Amino acid sequence: MSPARALRPALGVGSTGLVLAAVSHPDVASWIVTMLGEAPRRGLGVARLLELTQHHLVLAGTGLALIAFLGVGVGILATRDFAGPARGAIDGFAAAAQAVPPVVVVALALPVLGFGGPPTLLALVAYGIMPVLRGTISGIEAVSSEARDAATAIGLTRGQVLRQVELPLAGPAILDALRTGLILAIATAAVGALAGASTLGTPIVAGLQNQNILPMLQGATATAALAFLCDAALLAAAALFRR
Amino acid sequence: MFGRSIVSIAAAVPFACLVLSALYALPLLHVAANRIVVGSPVYASGVLEIGIHLAAVLSVVATGLLAWTQTRVAALAALTLAIAAFGLLVLVLASGASDLVAGRPPATRAGLATGAWLALLLLAAGIGLALRRTRVPGLGPAIFVLMFGSLVLAGRAGAFEGLSLAVEYRARRETVIEATLQHLVLSGGAVALALLCAIALSLWRRGQGIVEILVGGVQVIPAIALFGGLVALTSGLLRAVPSLREFGLSPLGPGPALVGIGAYLLLPLWRGIATALRSTEPAIIDAATAMGLTPAQVLARVRLPLGAPILIGALRVAVVQSLGLATLGALVGAGGLGQIVFDGMAQFAPDLILLGAIPIVALSLAAERALGSAEVLARRRWRA
Repeated sequence: MSPARALRPALGVGSTGLVLAAVSHPDVASWIVTMLGEAPRRGLGVARLLELTQHHLVLAGTGLALIAFLGVGVGILATRDFAGPARGAIDGFAAAAQAVPPVVVVALALPVLGFGGPPTLLALVAYGIMPVLRGTISGIEAVSSEARDAATAIGLTRGQVLRQVELPLAGPAILDALRTGLILAIATAAVGALAGASTLGTPIVAGLQNQNILPMLQGATATAALAFLCDAALLAAAALFRR
Repeated sequence: MFGRSIVSIAAAVPFACLVLSALYALPLLHVAANRIVVGSPVYASGVLEIGIHLAAVLSVVATGLLAWTQTRVAALAALTLAIAAFGLLVLVLASGASDLVAGRPPATRAGLATGAWLALLLLAAGIGLALRRTRVPGLGPAIFVLMFGSLVLAGRAGAFEGLSLAVEYRARRETVIEATLQHLVLSGGAVALALLCAIALSLWRRGQGIVEILVGGVQVIPAIALFGGLVALTSGLLRAVPSLREFGLSPLGPGPALVGIGAYLLLPLWRGIATALRSTEPAIIDAATAMGLTPAQVLARVRLPLGAPILIGALRVAVVQSLGLATLGALVGAGGLGQIVFDGMAQFAPDLILLGAIPIVALSLAAERALGSAEVLARRRWRA
């Protein structure tokens, strides 16, 4: 497949992100709000938007790093021969963890961890780790036993089989799971605004409370833009990886 | 076999240590002058000590039994012990809380602290694991009904009067029940709406490529952003066409929440419908057609029943997502249990947050289990 063709999905998602980012610009957003028949008031300046974006990225990025490290790590451990009996427990735990929505984790962690980043980060990890863990496990399990046997037959050690056969073959599945994790991370960081974390969710929550459409629209489009742009970056990475 | 038991023991020792440290190293209860301030911690030595010791011994023995052998008898014994430990712990904590508030001003609150929550969660996980090992069909729901029923009966009898969560519940019973109903209506309505749209979208044969891009794209948008955007758009729409207000549409309320939640459910439902209809082997469809069935009859009598497990699986994912997303509905004024959670966050009152959070988690888990069993049943029914 030619690189241009492989990158096409990433380009589509990325340009959606760029359009949304443009809509979140104060001038464009004010114009839209005026078109909707409302007097625009107290919008966010470009500097403030960028500052919030930076906070959002740091929070979501830290969470994603933790998710990737823990999810892929535990996933590799769970697929080793010795972990057989633990598999049922992992699946049960995964189902239970998905039943607790991120908002609820943020809310429950609030009295223990206080306002701001920490409860958000906890919710992010608690909710995001399971898709990555499941993706890693199913990716490694989908590696055919012939490939594994052949690798063992030519004298590769277990560690080499993992690094040179299992992980490369499971790579696309793991990257897919990481994409889900990334989207969850960005969404949860936005929800963290409810716990007082300063992210792009903050203007949405404030706008909803003050019935002020302009920051609501700006925050919503900026958060969505961030999600689309990051997704495009991972899609592009996945396309290059597969090539 | 030998390797397996080493792994079980390697997992059992940290588990037992976690239970013990939850019971002895972390605070079990906290007492506060009122429902808002942070209380002072109470450790195991401050509550009915003998009861805590007994619960600890029971849990350690149960863990040991589970680690030692894989037999059904051991699992049943471990299950009994773990349930006993759970019940004992609940009773000891509740009576400890009653003792703590006795003789103090009425605003005094005693609540479960981190150690108690952790120990109860670990014991619940242990009960779940033992249940799985027993492999007795129908035992899980029976145990659940038994434990839940005993908790309700004990609550009716006033066993939890001392716990702040029970005090909070008594003060807001009506609100909680009403919010639960709202939550169910909101998430159920969103599932119904999304189901109708998903069916319509799957009928549009030519547009499946576009549908895939749109339905997948929605998933990328963070829920809070979509809700915010929908509120902004609805209020703009109402300004442009004020007569829509007569249909009960308003920028804040169930309208935007229903649309927002429903949008996220399109992907699992639409994909489920497509996979379910494709899952029937062409040979079976040919055979049905050869027998003289019309395409509609093939759909109703062959393709839908054969795809039922996949459809129910998609519905399960959608319902669980819907129950979770409905929490955010409170943000746009749609009410539901999220309202209680957000009130608790605003007042920084942990018990109020729990009062909203516990029903949400319970509803999601119940929906997950119920539809999961239905999926298994459907699979058995049509594969047999």
